[in-house]
Amino acid sequence: MKFIRVNMSTKALSVEDVPEQYKGLGGRGLTSIMINEEVPPQCDPLGTDNKLIFAPGLLTGTSLVNTSRISIGAKSPLTGGIKESNVGGTVAVALGRLGITAVVVEGQAPQGALSFIRIDKEGNASLISAQEYKGMRTYQLVEKILKTYGEKTSVLCIGPAGEYRLAAASIQSSDIDGRPCRAAARGGLGAVMGAKGLKALIVDQGGKSADAIADPKAFTEAAKDVAKAIKADHMSGNVMPELGTAALVAPVNAMGAFPSYNATKGVLDGWENVSGEAMAELIKKRGGNTTHMGCAQCIVHCSNEFVDAKGKYVTGSLEYETIWSMGGMTGITDLDTIAQLDFLCDDIGVDTMSTGVAVAVAMDAGHKKFGDGKAAIEMVEEIAKGTAFGNVMGNGPAAVGKHFNHARVPVVKGQGVAAYDPRAMLGNGVTFATSPMGADHTAGNLVGLYLTQELDPLKPEGQVETSRFLQTVMAAFDCTGVCLIAFLSLLTPEAGEAFLKVLNAKLGTEFGPDDFPGAMGTRVLKAEREFNKKAGFTNEDDRLPEFYYKEPLPPHNTVFVISDEELDSTFDF
Amino acid sequence: MKLKVKLYGTLSQQSPGYQHSQGVEVEIPDGGTVKDLLAHLEIAEKQGALVVIDGQILKADDTMRDGVHIHILQSLSGG
Repeated sequence: MKFIRVNMSTKALSVEDVPEQYKGLGGRGLTSIMINEEVPPQCDPLGTDNKLIFAPGLLTGTSLVNTSRISIGAKSPLTGGIKESNVGGTVAVALGRLGITAVVVEGQAPQGALSFIRIDKEGNASLISAQEYKGMRTYQLVEKILKTYGEKTSVLCIGPAGEYRLAAASIQSSDIDGRPCRAAARGGLGAVMGAKGLKALIVDQGGKSADAIADPKAFTEAAKDVAKAIKADHMSGNVMPELGTAALVAPVNAMGAFPSYNATKGVLDGWENVSGEAMAELIKKRGGNTTHMGCAQCIVHCSNEFVDAKGKYVTGSLEYETIWSMGGMTGITDLDTIAQLDFLCDDIGVDTMSTGVAVAVAMDAGHKKFGDGKAAIEMVEEIAKGTAFGNVMGNGPAAVGKHFNHARVPVVKGQGVAAYDPRAMLGNGVTFATSPMGADHTAGNLVGLYLTQELDPLKPEGQVETSRFLQTVMAAFDCTGVCLIAFLSLLTPEAGEAFLKVLNAKLGTEFGPDDFPGAMGTRVLKAEREFNKKAGFTNEDDRLPEFYYKEPLPPHNTVFVISDEELDSTFDF
Repeated sequence: MKLKVKLYGTLSQQSPGYQHSQGVEVEIPDGGTVKDLLAHLEIAEKQGALVVIDGQILKADDTMRDGVHIHILQSLSGG
């Protein structure tokens, strides 16, 4: 249980025991509570006072399956508020096996200076000059890093967009195969990393000093039950390994809630061409992998490897949200083009969701026609060039809306929405509006309840309460390092009990359901909202853009009808 | 009555030879319900099937008309 603090201004590195006030925290809970404690809320997100915190989950580094998430936190240059973005891959497990609770990056390197932080298998950290990698895209960068430091190395890195400090810049994470194809994409944390002068965090995977487990026997027994529950669930055990998250394209279109053509329609013409079923058929025909282990200790294998007509790798794990942003929002129904756009975003280091929405806003403003794949690729390539228009694109949809003086900009707190239209899924609108993160697809997503018909997506009743419940549960699970797909299979009473046993066995606690997820989730959300308030956010920031209230969305032709008062009651804990 | 059915998610795994672009034609007695259709296709409750016609999710006791195009989807949670 130790922190590694790195001051980029003084080049000082220190190792310290986890301070008492942060004990028992991990993942999002640790990043958000630390930021609320240590970062001045009014600071420049790209200045010396912001901190970039990398924190594996509470269960990461143990033998529990699907615990490969790392939370990355800072004040966001995109939203101006607190940000936690979590990502899979291998780095979280590598840090967990070294007993590192967090890497905290402070200060700021002199302008133009670029470094790596490297942590070896003994847990020793060092700062290494990375000047020769300036401007390098992520795939080439990671290839060079693995050649230098060995194949069993995990990498978190930025591409040109992060170095340019663009507000939609991502931090890319290397997967099992050493490809930087997974992203802590949301909120512009890549820009914070670039502003610090940090090109990559490099961690040896050979660590053998993980934190002790309080009750190893109870842990092992309960961990088996958790794994069984994940395998037994029809989504995580069956659908995800076959189709991945792209399986959602069909049901969300069927519900008329797939925001298309910059959120002017709820069904994409030609969605069958970009569905999970169509993608699996195409990948199989070409000899790619429809199922693939992307993250350490994963037993779901929701990842895929998209290949071109010659069977050559194009991109790693083409996901639902990217198919939506680069396909639905832009009207592009060609999977090869969408896969190319996904690769470009990973390679340049920008969020596929914000960038797809940015392309859609530009198209809606008349800059290019909807469905023009070539134009979309050119717009994304422009980001890497660092041109004036590339910078506009890389700063996300709000910047593009301002550039074209275009009003229909689907963002909340400056962050582009996700693949569920608030007019056809009211509760997701509540989450988009009120999440301290800005519009977010993982903060409290109600789609599963709509599909099982437990809640009517078009009626206001129950939406706020359900969003509150899910936002709280997610805030707690984001502390543990468990991936969302696994988490969703743990919502039955039996699986939930097994998970609680695992957590208690690891931490030596006696948490009941009121403590986890209840109290832990509430504590995290309160800290996040407190930070945002001190940063200047008010209730008026917990609103959707005006067009959601005024423009009916076909095919249901409904608008967002949750009142401001109801939205403001979301966090009445 | 005859129904034109397309299967999504992993529901086609139990229909050997199923081609997604073609779908499958299913015959059930007139006045058949969603429940009857799912039973005919041997789709179990735990598979989370949703029967959709023209963008509307049907309930278990809803009946269908001859010749309609039906999508059978799987309920999923989001991410």
